[in-house]
Amino acid sequence: MTLPEQAIPARRGLRFSPTLTAGLILVGLHIAIALLTLFWTPYDPASTAGGRLEPPSWSHWAGTDRLGRDFFTQIMIGSRIALVVGAGAVAIGAAIGVTIGLLAAFATRFLDDALAATLDILIAFPTLLLAMLVVAASDSASLWTAILALGIAMSAIVARLTRILAKRVLRNDYIAASRTAGTSWPGVVAMHVLPNIWPTLAVSFALQFGLAIIAEASLSYLGLGTPPPNASWGRLLQEAQGTVYTAPIGAIAPGIALVTLVIGINLIADGLRDVADPV
Amino acid sequence: MTGPVFNGHLNQRRNVRTLAALSLVVALSASAAFPAAAQEDYDPDATVRIGSLYEPQNLDNTAGAGQGVSEVFNSNVYEPLFRLTDDGNVEPVLASDYSISEDGLTYTIKLHPNVTFHSGDPLTAQDVKFSIERVVAPESKSSRKNSLATISAIETPDDQTVVIKLSQRSISLPYNLSYVWIVNDAATSFTTSADGTGPYRLDGRRRGSGISLSRFDDYWGDAPTNKEVVFSYFTDATALNNALLTNAVDIITSVQSPDSLALFKDNPDFTVTEGQSTTKEVLAFNDRVEPFSDPRVRKAISRAIDKSKLLNSIWGEYGTLIGSFVPPTDPWYVDLTGVDPYDPETAKALLAEAGHPNGFSFNLDTPNYDPHPIVAQFVKSELAKVGITVNINIITANEWYTKIYQAHDFQATLQEHVNHRDIVFYGNPDFYWGYNNPEVIELIKSAEASATTEEQVEKLTTANRLIAEDAASVWLYLYPQIVVSANNVTGYPVNGLNSQFFVYDIRKN
Repeated sequence: MTLPEQAIPARRGLRFSPTLTAGLILVGLHIAIALLTLFWTPYDPASTAGGRLEPPSWSHWAGTDRLGRDFFTQIMIGSRIALVVGAGAVAIGAAIGVTIGLLAAFATRFLDDALAATLDILIAFPTLLLAMLVVAASDSASLWTAILALGIAMSAIVARLTRILAKRVLRNDYIAASRTAGTSWPGVVAMHVLPNIWPTLAVSFALQFGLAIIAEASLSYLGLGTPPPNASWGRLLQEAQGTVYTAPIGAIAPGIALVTLVIGINLIADGLRDVADPV
Repeated sequence: MTGPVFNGHLNQRRNVRTLAALSLVVALSASAAFPAAAQEDYDPDATVRIGSLYEPQNLDNTAGAGQGVSEVFNSNVYEPLFRLTDDGNVEPVLASDYSISEDGLTYTIKLHPNVTFHSGDPLTAQDVKFSIERVVAPESKSSRKNSLATISAIETPDDQTVVIKLSQRSISLPYNLSYVWIVNDAATSFTTSADGTGPYRLDGRRRGSGISLSRFDDYWGDAPTNKEVVFSYFTDATALNNALLTNAVDIITSVQSPDSLALFKDNPDFTVTEGQSTTKEVLAFNDRVEPFSDPRVRKAISRAIDKSKLLNSIWGEYGTLIGSFVPPTDPWYVDLTGVDPYDPETAKALLAEAGHPNGFSFNLDTPNYDPHPIVAQFVKSELAKVGITVNINIITANEWYTKIYQAHDFQATLQEHVNHRDIVFYGNPDFYWGYNNPEVIELIKSAEASATTEEQVEKLTTANRLIAEDAASVWLYLYPQIVVSANNVTGYPVNGLNSQFFVYDIRKN
């Protein structure tokens, strides 16, 4: 059977589907805001000059919190923290996960089975629970323990996916041919395995990125994530909980920020999947 | 001390439903002007439904049941020899009369005659002896066990007389006895059943749901103004608020956030009362370690924090500023808010004088539950203005207990201190904050050995002033005690000292 003609160009480069475009715009907006906060925010995030729980106005777009801090400033900084956590967790998860996954794919039958079973056990733990264990084991909660915790929790999922994908590639005859031609195992990984598995991995990373952001918000909500006064959206939501009737903007605004970023990332993941697997 | 406050005025921040709020002002000023008229017209057989967040873990106040056990049982089901009233005084209850020997070491207490337990047994001196011994027993988890340790012997010369002998003078004995429920010495279980002498008997208990009390018809004192009282327990404050809004309960014993009050303040069907709790939000230093061993540094920090802004941030228009550890309901209260008023300029000068012209940095161990994290952020932002860097370290309640309370391994921390008359903690140099002023220690010790209450009050007032002048800690604010009720219910306690909630005067129409 021949493939339909129009599917072929997709393999030549990124095709910007509406999904991908929408995702890139949403995430791009958050990245732009995050970069902006490095140089400028509407108010000093620590300034308590505003009134208590002021409603949104021209001077405070999202109102103020209980201490009189500008809420919009905090949400902008929250973008930065969310992106750093997402990127950091994915980087750690990818580094550990891909390495273990490849090792398992190349390992002897016994080691492979052992690794696969270990990964299944790790995956059986909810990511958040695993992350909470890592935070609890460390001395104190910080941005870096949160990133590390989520990265470690995520690595099991990445490792399992990498292992399956790599094993599928390794079964191909051209791998044997390549080996016969004298290519080393690291060469095989670099030339054949990674180029073949990266599109699927990239989709997975994008999805994990979104999940990491939600997980960090959950950790912060529980008081285990980024410590105050860092403006994590989860902490903002937690602080707004008691004032949800009187100042609903405190819960709505970080909620919108969180949703737009995670939807944006998921749209990108969707778009990437269309590119990677156009049929 | 403030009485009930009727919050009938317009809230500037939320100008919704102005018309409704205006009519509320009229309605509430009317009810405030004629409170007596509302009280006379009540149903003596009413059922009062009380909503609370503090379910007792068991029914025994010597078995670690939590504050909820005092809320239900103190003076309602079990009575003490002396009780702490809602305005902070000590009055005799089961003791009809008492005398103190010249040396202050022997208390002879006469019991009210004709008092019976709910089971029908008469109250005797043996019951009193048994009750006190139960509280000081090795397995007792009562918080006042140590205060009663001065009791060396209890004698019962006849059924109506108890003689308590002390190893040293203890002017607070009647106060400390307010923590002792008088129980029937024939009772078999205290954790699952109750047999007291109070105006109510325990009717039933449903774990996780509630406790019901009903009027005890053979009560020796004045009969309660209602027939039945049901305590319903909630784990979520929002659910509790909704229960009041939908008429599932009549009273909320203690509201923990000012923001839910908006639901009730603008509504003429409800009454919001503010009393004074004994819960103090404290920024406690480890006074043993540099730089907090220097009183000038502690005073500088106290002056650098705008406490009235903080109080407003956390509690809106509620709560009270305190200049020391002593709340207005303690007899040795004096207004000390002027000792270290908000003044960043003199704070900087004091820091320079203490050798920290460029400030310093410290770790603030912050419990992970409200309001501590938000208070910590405020402290951080205020101290940044005088050059001090605060690193907020979030810890759990368990960690607080082991790291700070037990190991004293900290620089500074935040904590709420709930107890009444707890200035004595500053007389203990081994307490977690390690405040060690020999003059204060001596004053607190000798105050307990005072011959008269006046002498005790005078000494503790002096100690109170000294700890304030030393800025032993920073006393950020006193929590308000806010009770919300449906407007057909009156006569409940407004201060709720020591988590007590006397229900026998509650009237409902």
